[in-house]
Order: sequence, then structure tokens, then C-alpha cells
Amino acid sequence: MSAALVELHGVEKIYRLGEVEVPALRGVDLRVEAGDFLALIGPSGSGKSTLLHVLGLLDRPTGGRVLWEGQDVTKLNGGRLAELRGRRIGFVFQMFNLVPNLTALENAELPLIFLGVPLGLRRKRAEEVLVRLGLGDRLRHRPNQLSGGQQQRVALARALVTDPALLIADEPTGNLDTATGREILGIFSDLHQQGRAIVLATHDPEAAEVARIRIRLRDGRIVEVRS
Amino acid sequence: MILDLFRLSFRNIRHRGLRSWLTVIGILIGTAAVVALISIGQGLQRAISAQVERIVGYNTLLITARGMNLGQRIRLDIDAIRAIPGVCSALAVRVETAYVEGPGGKGFLAVLGYDPVMEEFVAEMNLTVAAGRALRGPGEVLLGSRTARVLGAQVGDEVVIEGRKFLVVGTLQAQRAGIFATGGLNLTDLLVISLPELRQFFPGPELVQYAVVRLTDRADMAAVREAIRAHLARVGERNAALTDFEDLTRNIQSVIRGVQAFLAGIAGIALLVGGVGVMNTMYTAVLERTREIGILKAVGAKDSHVLLLFLFESGLMGLAGGALGLLIGFGVAWTATLIVGRLFQAQNAFSPVLSGALVLGALFFSFLVGAVAGIFPAFRAARLPPVDALRYE
Repeated sequence: MSAALVELHGVEKIYRLGEVEVPALRGVDLRVEAGDFLALIGPSGSGKSTLLHVLGLLDRPTGGRVLWEGQDVTKLNGGRLAELRGRRIGFVFQMFNLVPNLTALENAELPLIFLGVPLGLRRKRAEEVLVRLGLGDRLRHRPNQLSGGQQQRVALARALVTDPALLIADEPTGNLDTATGREILGIFSDLHQQGRAIVLATHDPEAAEVARIRIRLRDGRIVEVRS
Repeated sequence: MILDLFRLSFRNIRHRGLRSWLTVIGILIGTAAVVALISIGQGLQRAISAQVERIVGYNTLLITARGMNLGQRIRLDIDAIRAIPGVCSALAVRVETAYVEGPGGKGFLAVLGYDPVMEEFVAEMNLTVAAGRALRGPGEVLLGSRTARVLGAQVGDEVVIEGRKFLVVGTLQAQRAGIFATGGLNLTDLLVISLPELRQFFPGPELVQYAVVRLTDRADMAAVREAIRAHLARVGERNAALTDFEDLTRNIQSVIRGVQAFLAGIAGIALLVGGVGVMNTMYTAVLERTREIGILKAVGAKDSHVLLLFLFESGLMGLAGGALGLLIGFGVAWTATLIVGRLFQAQNAFSPVLSGALVLGALFFSFLVGAVAGIFPAFRAARLPPVDALRYE
């Protein structure tokens, strides 16, 4: 059997708040194959975000193993993890998380800077992605000059600019009105059609519907998997 | 990529606008103070070197009482010194106090014995006649400007020195460059008569304020010094000291350097305070941009990238403060010397020196202060765990 994109084996994450230990994940096994579209659903505090962070190598689990394309990444140093994040993973957040004093274009090309892509190439690539997402006339705008939907599309462009193997989205429609949210979900759908692996966490049933596999979490455990 | 990080840093500085400027001003003031003091100090050193060279000359020796004490006289025979091989010319300056009566006043005044050899040392002596003419024969006297006022005498009047009449043939120009340029003589308060006449008034062994000895071009300074020392020993003068150009400049320069280092040290404290300002600004920036740091890390920035980003930011602010401080500091130094020059009416007395080392040093040091001040905030930023940073509100 060929290696999956990401495999989690008995992943645990315990946060320490002073003396108190707060378990966020209590033994999660999960496989994400290339081309999968997973939705993590469940109430707040069920561990969705934490699971996304572990999948996206933003956070280290306190127990269990994480295999990225067959490689155990739990022992990798911060620099190697950052590189993997930069090359293989794209993030989209609920709050868009754009850098406020950079233009749409500059925000979109940000990941390429850290990969050392030269300016000309980087600009061209970022522009291409932004145009594809319908922001061709907003390249020089700053985040505060853009609507929520436009901002989220810039964030998507930033996530896609490196052509990542996995797109991770944390409540991507959470801060958008229904119509704009649908627009964004449409883009996710298209990306999935093109073969991109996506994992998104959401409260929104409509968002969950777009995904091929729905995984329900409760108290840090996977309680239901539905295709 | 370094260049890109640099560009991002620059963006962030501009973005903070006023706050960045205030931080830069902190560095600017420190740098300006240091640069102003050092450039003035270097100008002063250069001016004094030139002055000393003009007074003493490279191949010139001064014979004075120990410690260059011109108030104490020494015994020597100037003709014997002139006879030493390697000595080109030598001048003994003898000043006595005599009772002088003029048309409008009287008193005990300093009288300088004029030796024609002085003409060779004119530049050093600064014996410039303002009105009338120079001494030509016996019975003639030149008056310093203040002496003329005290005695109420003008060119053509007669004054009585120790009971003998002298004709005032000229007055000396008022001193401009201070006592230093005249080799320790205050020419405004003097009378000048010929040396033989002075010797007649004060017979006995010759005691002089100081002597200036000029060497021939190829003379061996050490040998001449030795010969002069031997002469002084022979006439029983134990309190005399020899000073050449290098001794003199070395002493003066070391004093100036000491004062300069002290002042620059104080100014350096201002620079240090500026550095603390940078540190404060950078800590605030890290706090404000915690979320942004999380974003950068999420999209692939390594700790080292974040570190560099913030270090560049603080270093750039330091550099900006340094560059502006350099300009302003030199401007201040220039204006200050101009004002001082006007105040003491010493035209072209000296101007501040902005050496290449000072320019590079100021820029490098201000960058360093900025970068060092940024180290702790930058490390804090670099070490932030990405998830915590992203969650930061």
C-alpha cells in the first residue's frame, strides 16, 4: 500500500493551563489520501482546530505519530516543519489572516518569499492565481479595501500559490454571509474536482455537504465517519 | 530572500509612521551628539597641530623651565647654543619688568628685548607692527596695544624706561589668535626695546623666559638635544626642559583626546538611550504583530526568517537614525565652530573634520545599536509557537 498524504496514529494533544491538563485530542487515527475532501464537524471545543493544526504541522501532538507522505514528522525540527508547511500545505483561516500592510498581490506571494522564489517569477505566479480567483482588478488593494469574500479569496490565493498537496481550511465561511460563503465553497468544490486534497473544519452544514467525507468529532475523539 | 525580508522590514517601519520616526530620533540625537563632538575634536586637533607646527616647526626645539613653565626663567648663553653643530638659528626671549613712565600713565611693565634674529621667527612671534615702523636703532621702543593705552602714548611720543628716554616708533598689532600663537608672550601688554639696551638695564647673567632653537634640515635632533643639555649643565641650569614639535603635539593631542573621549562617552549614553527606545518599539511591534508572525510561520517562514525580519527592522531604524544624526551632527559642529570663531574673532581658527572613519563608524555603530537593541524582541518573535501566535487577539 502506498503512503497516504497524512496519517495520524493515536494522536493526543494535551494543553497545560497551569496545573490543569486539558485534553484536546484523545487518540485520533486518521488517513488523508491525495484527492480526499474531508470535513471535520462537531461542536466548539471538540478538537477540530487542534486536529487541523496537527495535520498542518502547525502544532506538535503530545502523543501518537504523524506521518507526512510516509515520513514521521513528530521528530522533525521547527525549520524542517516550516519548510514542509511552505511547500506542501496551504492554510485558509476563518479570520482571513492577511497581512494588513501588504497588497493582495504581496499577500498572495508571501509563501513564495520563504521558499526563495525570485521576485519576477513570484509576482507572475501570484498574479496568475489571483486572476483565476477573480481578483484581477484587486491586485494592488490592501486587505482593508477588500470585502470579506475578496479577502478570503486572497487568502485562498496565498494558500494555493505554492501548489500545495493539502489545503487546510478552518471555518473558511465562518465570517462570511451565506451568498459569499457559497461562492467560497464553490471554489473549494472546484479545487477538489481538480484533484486537490482538502481538509476543512466547519460548523456550517452546507459547508460540510460539499465534502466527500464527513468526520464528526466530540471531546477529542472521532465519533462518526460518513461518506 | 534576504532582500525580500529587508523590503518587508522597510514596509513595516514605514507603516508605523510617527512611531518609527520618534524611535529614529532617539538614535539620531545620540549619533548627532557623538559626531558633533568627535568632528569638533578632530578639527581642534588638526588646528592645534598646524598651530604648533607654525609656532615651533618640525625641526624646532623649545628650551623652557620644566613643565613649560614660562613664569620661571632659565639661565643659558644663546651664543653658545648657536655654535652647536646642527643648529641653524636660535632665539632667546628675555622679558624683564621695568618702571615705565608715559605722557598719560606709568607703572611696572614687561619689556621684551628685541633681537634681530626674531625676524626669522616672526611668524611664531607674531610681532606685527600696526602703526609706525619696526625698531631700527637704540633709543626706540614699540608698544603693545594695551601698554600704549596705559601709558597714554602714541607713535612719536616719548616714554621713560628706568630713567632713560625712548622714542615710540610703532605699536604692535593686537593679538588675535591668543597667547598660544605668540609662544607664551602677551604682546598687548609689552614694550619692546633692543636686546643690548635691555641688557644694559639688567646686567649680570642672562636669564631668559625661553629659547627657540631651529635645526638645519639634516641635523640630528637627538645629538642637538644632547649638546644643549650639556650646555645647560655647564652653565648650572638644572631646571630646564627641552621640547620638540612631537613632544608638544603629543602632549596637547593626548589631552584633547582625553577630553574628547570623555565627552563622546557622555554623548554615547544618549545613543544608548536611543537604543533602549528601539528595543521598546520593537517589543511593542512584536506584541502588535504576534498574529502576523503566526501567519508568516503558517505559510512557511522559519524562525530564522522571523528573526531576521525583526532584526532588519531595528537595524534599519538604527541606520536611519545614524545617517540623519551624521548630517545633523556635522551641521551642528560646523555651526558651533562658526559661532565660536565669530565670538573670538578668530577667522578660520578651525573647522570640524568629518573623516571617512567617523562616517563609517557612526553608520556602523548606529546600525549595531539598533540591531543589538532588536535582538531580544526578535528572538521573542522568532520563538513564538505558530498556533499560539495565530490565536493571539
